[in-house]
Amino acid sequence: MRMFATIAKLLVKRVLTAIPILLLVSALLFCILRILPVDPAAMSLPPNATVQEVEAMRTEMGLNLPLYQQYGIWLNKLFHGDIGRSIHFRQNVTSLIGSTLPATVELALIAMVVATVFGLAGGLFLFYVRGTRAEAVMDFISILLLSLPEFLWSLFLLLIFGVFFEVLPFTGRLSPGFERPVVTGFLLLDSLITGKLSTFFNALEHMILPCLALGIALSPSLMRVLRSSLLDAYQDDYIQQARLRGLSEKRILIRHGLKNAILPTLSLMGVQFGFLFGGTLLVEIIYSYPGMGNLMVDAIRNADLPIIQGAGLTYCIAVLVISIVVDSLYLILNPKLRVR
Amino acid sequence: MRPLPLWLRSGRVQTGLVIIFILAVCAIFAPYLAPNDPNEQNLLSILTPPVWVDGGDAMFPLGTDSLGRCVLSRLIFGARVALTVAFTASIGAMIIGAFFAHVAGYFGGWVDWVIGRIVEIWLSFPPVILSLILMVGLGTGLRNVVLAIVLVDWTRFCRVLRSEVIVLRRRDYVSAAQLVGFSHWRTITREILPGTLPLLITLMSLEMGVAIIVEAILSFVGMSVGSETAAWGQMIADARQNIYEAPFNLIAPIFAIFFAVFGFNILGDGLRRTLDTRLTQTERT
Repeated sequence: MRMFATIAKLLVKRVLTAIPILLLVSALLFCILRILPVDPAAMSLPPNATVQEVEAMRTEMGLNLPLYQQYGIWLNKLFHGDIGRSIHFRQNVTSLIGSTLPATVELALIAMVVATVFGLAGGLFLFYVRGTRAEAVMDFISILLLSLPEFLWSLFLLLIFGVFFEVLPFTGRLSPGFERPVVTGFLLLDSLITGKLSTFFNALEHMILPCLALGIALSPSLMRVLRSSLLDAYQDDYIQQARLRGLSEKRILIRHGLKNAILPTLSLMGVQFGFLFGGTLLVEIIYSYPGMGNLMVDAIRNADLPIIQGAGLTYCIAVLVISIVVDSLYLILNPKLRVR
Repeated sequence: MRPLPLWLRSGRVQTGLVIIFILAVCAIFAPYLAPNDPNEQNLLSILTPPVWVDGGDAMFPLGTDSLGRCVLSRLIFGARVALTVAFTASIGAMIIGAFFAHVAGYFGGWVDWVIGRIVEIWLSFPPVILSLILMVGLGTGLRNVVLAIVLVDWTRFCRVLRSEVIVLRRRDYVSAAQLVGFSHWRTITREILPGTLPLLITLMSLEMGVAIIVEAILSFVGMSVGSETAAWGQMIADARQNIYEAPFNLIAPIFAIFFAVFGFNILGDGLRRTLDTRLTQTERT
């Protein structure tokens, strides 16, 4: 019961600090994009519009007001769930983000699982081979892996499994001919709810390469932190004590070593998963995956300010949510932080 | 002959330096090394395979891209953009990050609080997204790419160095300097900075690798240097369009980026092991 109270306290505190951060970020986003040499009014009118028409549009869009007033109006609309209309797609930004965000979240969540599995397994293996000749080799390999960002992994996996061996699909979320069920927007979930198993497996096939690319790219840093925290934990007396008590090495590792070493790894994960969420952008472009990253890059190419602002803010919220979730997990797993 | 300093005797540092030296030679002497003009289009021989494959042309050792430009030449010239960004952006990010880290760690109190909150705001943005948005605001071009990377990545230095400064500030020799009446500036530069320098150099080496990746990402989505300058990310974007016809065009720039980033990473790792005395004690046991 007490644990819930402390976690609730942490949640409240984190959400309260997230609000000023988001306000500042939104102001930053607003200012950076307002100094752009593009005129949203001229862009939303046909090219043959007269100067008077553009001027009228500017007044209508509020572009002649002072910057802080424009920001106030924008913020007020934001609170009412209105981030504006896309100049290019002629659609509400909220609905554009609403239709692409689930795809990105789905990608990021599965990639996080992949990263965790690879990171933990690799870290344990690195620790297991400590002091042997294999350690130097493994250590070298982990630096090698560290030098391959998700961007290069995506291309690399695409070349091997998509082009050379042609075993996995690498464009979009579904093969042509599959109907997309829409319930929640999460494709894997939706196809299960509607009972379309063939769609589910097809979608899963499309997820394999992008998720592997993201997950593998993130895992080496997790591996290295887990290994060094395990090494640190094994310096402590309780490990010797456990040995003297005659516990098996496996039990020492799982019950004593890992339990303590997992904490630094977890706090790194909070930051890394935030990066991972941003990394989906590149992976989405490479795999033509219709998520927020593709929306964002399209918007950037078309100088579509409302989408850039909306998507930028959404990425920001996602990172804050991830870090709050990881911090709560940290609290659940770390008894030292629980009771003051 | 005098023995080499400890850090230069590390195999990792040597490997890293050799790789960076090779890249630097490519970048500096690009016009002499490249077999062709990197921007010359040979529309009659587009997407030719590398010379060792059937149909390869000795004139284009690594083949040509979709506009018939020499892949090898573009690869060599691409090293210029990559290295320019790596050095200038990491120096810029280091200066800003180290400055704020030392100020925050040394003075503590509200100064530390304010800087800490600014870093927190920065960290709530995924770096890729923030640099893209900055590029939208700044406009494309080499100088703006460097600026965007500096503005995004200074926090990497700030976060790590700050905690190091806090440890050093509590040392007796720092208190001694303060008692003797050294100014704050002099205490920071003469007493604390020498202590943070090893970490700073290591971070810089790693940051160079990060900068190369970010530049490649930006030029991949067409938000870096203009199309008239050869850059590795652009080559990847071009090759992605013709992946079935010319898969090798994709492999070449991927390898170049990997090679460069690996060089900086292994250098950084070697420096960390040899320069940072506190880390090596736990690492070595």
